[in-house]
Amino acid sequence: MAQVLLKNVCKRYGEVTAVRDVSLAIEDRQFCVLVGPSGCGKTTTLRMIAGLEDITEGEIWVGERVVNYVHPKDRDIAMVFQNYALYPHMTVEENMGFGLRVRRFPKDEIKQRTDEAAGVLDIMQYLDRTPRELSGGQKQRVAVGRAIVRKPKVFLFDEPLSNLDAKLRVQMRAQLKKLHERLQTTIVYVTHDQVEAMTLGDIIVVMKDGVIQQVGEPLTVYDNPCNRFVAGFIGTPPMNFIEVTVRRSGGAVVLDEGGFSVTLPPVLAAKAAAYDGKPATLGIRPEHIHDKATYTGAANAGNTVEAGVDVVELLGNEKHLHLAAGSSMFVAVVDAHIAAHAGRKLPVVFDMDKVHLFDKETENAVF
Amino acid sequence: MADTNMMRRLKRRKMLRQAANLVLLYGGMTALAVILIIPFLWTLSTSLKHPAEVFAFPPRFIPEQIHWRNYADAWTRVPFGRFFINSLIVSFSVTVGQVFTSALAAFAFARLDFPGRNKLFLGYLGTMMIPGQVTMIPVFIVCKQLNLIDTYAALILPGLFSAYGTFMLRQFFLTIPKDLEEAAIIDGLNYWQIFTHVIVPLSKPALFTLGTFVFLGAWNDFMWPLIVTNADSMKTLPVGLAAFQGQYSTDWTLLMAGSVIVLTPVLLLYIVNQRFITKGFVMSGLKG
Amino acid sequence: MADAPTSGQSVSPDPVSPSPASEAVRARKNILWRKTNVGYLFLLPNISGFMLFTLIPVVVSLGLSLFSWDILQPARFVGLQNFVELFKDRDFWRYLWNTVYLMAGIPINMLIALLVAMLINRKLPGIIAYRTIYFTPVISPMVAVAMLWRLILNGDTGLLNATIRMVQSSVKGFLTGIAEWFQGSFVSDALVGLANIAATRPPNWLGDPAWSKPALILTGMWGFGYSMLLYLAALQSIPDDLYEAARIDGASAWTQFWKITWPMLSFVNFFIIIMSVIGGFQAFGIQYVMTQGGPAGSTTTIVYYIYRNAFEWFKMGYASAIAWVLFGIIFALTIIQWNMRKRMGEYF
Repeated sequence: MAQVLLKNVCKRYGEVTAVRDVSLAIEDRQFCVLVGPSGCGKTTTLRMIAGLEDITEGEIWVGERVVNYVHPKDRDIAMVFQNYALYPHMTVEENMGFGLRVRRFPKDEIKQRTDEAAGVLDIMQYLDRTPRELSGGQKQRVAVGRAIVRKPKVFLFDEPLSNLDAKLRVQMRAQLKKLHERLQTTIVYVTHDQVEAMTLGDIIVVMKDGVIQQVGEPLTVYDNPCNRFVAGFIGTPPMNFIEVTVRRSGGAVVLDEGGFSVTLPPVLAAKAAAYDGKPATLGIRPEHIHDKATYTGAANAGNTVEAGVDVVELLGNEKHLHLAAGSSMFVAVVDAHIAAHAGRKLPVVFDMDKVHLFDKETENAVF
Repeated sequence: MADTNMMRRLKRRKMLRQAANLVLLYGGMTALAVILIIPFLWTLSTSLKHPAEVFAFPPRFIPEQIHWRNYADAWTRVPFGRFFINSLIVSFSVTVGQVFTSALAAFAFARLDFPGRNKLFLGYLGTMMIPGQVTMIPVFIVCKQLNLIDTYAALILPGLFSAYGTFMLRQFFLTIPKDLEEAAIIDGLNYWQIFTHVIVPLSKPALFTLGTFVFLGAWNDFMWPLIVTNADSMKTLPVGLAAFQGQYSTDWTLLMAGSVIVLTPVLLLYIVNQRFITKGFVMSGLKG
Repeated sequence: MADAPTSGQSVSPDPVSPSPASEAVRARKNILWRKTNVGYLFLLPNISGFMLFTLIPVVVSLGLSLFSWDILQPARFVGLQNFVELFKDRDFWRYLWNTVYLMAGIPINMLIALLVAMLINRKLPGIIAYRTIYFTPVISPMVAVAMLWRLILNGDTGLLNATIRMVQSSVKGFLTGIAEWFQGSFVSDALVGLANIAATRPPNWLGDPAWSKPALILTGMWGFGYSMLLYLAALQSIPDDLYEAARIDGASAWTQFWKITWPMLSFVNFFIIIMSVIGGFQAFGIQYVMTQGGPAGSTTTIVYYIYRNAFEWFKMGYASAIAWVLFGIIFALTIIQWNMRKRMGEYF
């Protein structure tokens, strides 16, 4: 039984469509991340689940019932906001207990739940302070605490880490993951940061322009992006895209960039055959481009490219090489000790088993 | 070595020049301040004089004898005491009422969605342009027909609503972050509770500023109380003072004592809140 | 590589307990009802006031202007007769002139306000005290102000004239003293003549129709504080580096004023003028208290005329007609202000 179910949900503001025909099933206890660039509709979708936005079309189910016209307070959900939304004139303890007080829970139960949540989030010592006296990270934890005490069916997170500095964000990510393990509750989480999506989600939902592009486990989406957008959005540094023309040459299928060409392995060649003579986009992740000199696999004319090194970025554990070949530019991620210098030539090997091909018009992945 | 001496001399000259400038500046500002204060001092001084001294030539600021009696006389005889109480009742009621109704309406305009909201708000804005002189005649007629002349109702009721106050508070409410309300909605509050528990506590400075303005306006209001009161017992301070002038036109000491009575609450309120008030005037001017 | 799915997972079939359509519809109606009506409920006190004291009176007033009514007898419909009469009414035009004349104080006030604002636009200790003092006349109740200036402007021995006469007598004494040195020569005669001129009687401010309006303008000068505050805010919003760049370029203080300060004040200037003019058209209280519109109607303003027509002579229809003419004037000015405001918004 899905915990949260969206059926053909649409949201329109007059002429503008923010969310278009979104259907999604989120299982109980799943950590589902909605990810995409600004304006893709992820926050609107979250707010519709919460009840803060009206649903133009479609149905939203939480648990066993349709909640389209159910008041947010009765949907059994709790929300953590990007700007924390803590009541400034109340203490941390009062902030956390407010929702329960309004629902007339008995005082000792409120105290018990508040203390429990404060313990989990390690904010016991702040219970008497007001939000003004807290740092960003502390405020965020209080906001999470406020959601926890409600013991909802679903937690909704709206870009909770966006306002924190980079280091804190990394810490909080780990804490959120541990929290999920501990609470065992369904979480719907919105972010524009694909790293957060990859690290936190059990399943990720990539959205663009109000439409779901792909749904799946992080690794699946990473390895098998269904279109160019998802391929370019997930993964850092982003996937390289090279414009090529597909050609049959002899018995093989070759991707011809103009300045160089690479040969597809037989499995993939069969799928690309239909595009003979047509232009397409080759996609290859930076970590799948190797330095020929140190490559342990088989290097031949079909997968080697003579590239010129444009910029070398040393990151300590790895090097990002900005390379140019033909009229294309692409990035390779290699071990930090590889010898490479700007301005010199460097032969590289493309791992052809891991490349992707995208239809030039529809931008869908062929493979 | 000659250089350091020269440097020292130049520096000293510059400092002298700056000091001279400062003296001139402060001197000028003080002179202006004194000129501006003189009328107030004159009021105070006259209020403590004996009637014969009022137009003595040459004029003196310090009276021969301090006649505190003038105040007692003014309070009871005229009766400024009555006027004062009327003003207090009216100003206070109008302040509380207007702030309250304006806050409610401002909340509706700022945060609640209902059909016709924007058009209605534009209508409100439009009425701010209408001079009071247009509406006062019909309102007066209504009051007269309902026998409300010389009642507190006539003095207070028209002042209970203000497009201006609604406008100002709406602008302020719009700056309160929306997610606070959304968190409250999810927490289960209804709109009245959101208003009282979230909006109002966060709006204290704005409400206070509006209240101060409304109070000042009501306290100083002249034309409307003039129109709706005939009986001395119902007049507010400004109207009473003016009417008194007609009756006792030569009793300047009493008139000035009355003026001091009118001025004092205002000046006190102002001195205590001057930062709010001056800021409020500027904001209201540039935005409204 | 797997075939890429295009969008969304497959959706589970209809759940076990389908919600009856009617319940959903009812719930929907409930929410809409609540949302709409809560808004109106909050608005209720304010709107009723709005209806009662603004909207309906405005309409009634318009209607009233087409009637002749003195409250005691039933109203008589006269159409546009009131307006025609108004057009021919010499007093009306005279009072309109009075009202406009009194606005001559506006540029004077603005000048003083600007100069003082520039003077106190510095971060010096105690500046705020000065600013507070300069603004005090603005918040003082009009009645007190009117009466105290009436006292000061008293023709014979009000503070102002008394001070003038004291200054005059010392100047006269001084000049006469010097004249004695040059006894007999034409210089002495000239000085004595001058001394006599200096001793002319100061006017009876509020008792002389020729001087009553200037007297009111003088009183108004005391309240420059409001414009001063606006100028102060505007001055403070001009970035310092504009002046610094100009100084490096070698511009004098005079040039800096005309090329930097003055243009950036254009918005405030315009605003003050319009607000003052609109306020000026509504002038009433000071004239009522200080001069009762006299002497000889020299300080009666339009609104005073409305007041007398409505509340002294009970010519309700006529008074309403005047009020609407006034409204028309103010309306036109406000429209101008709105338009200019939109255009000038580019500066900010």
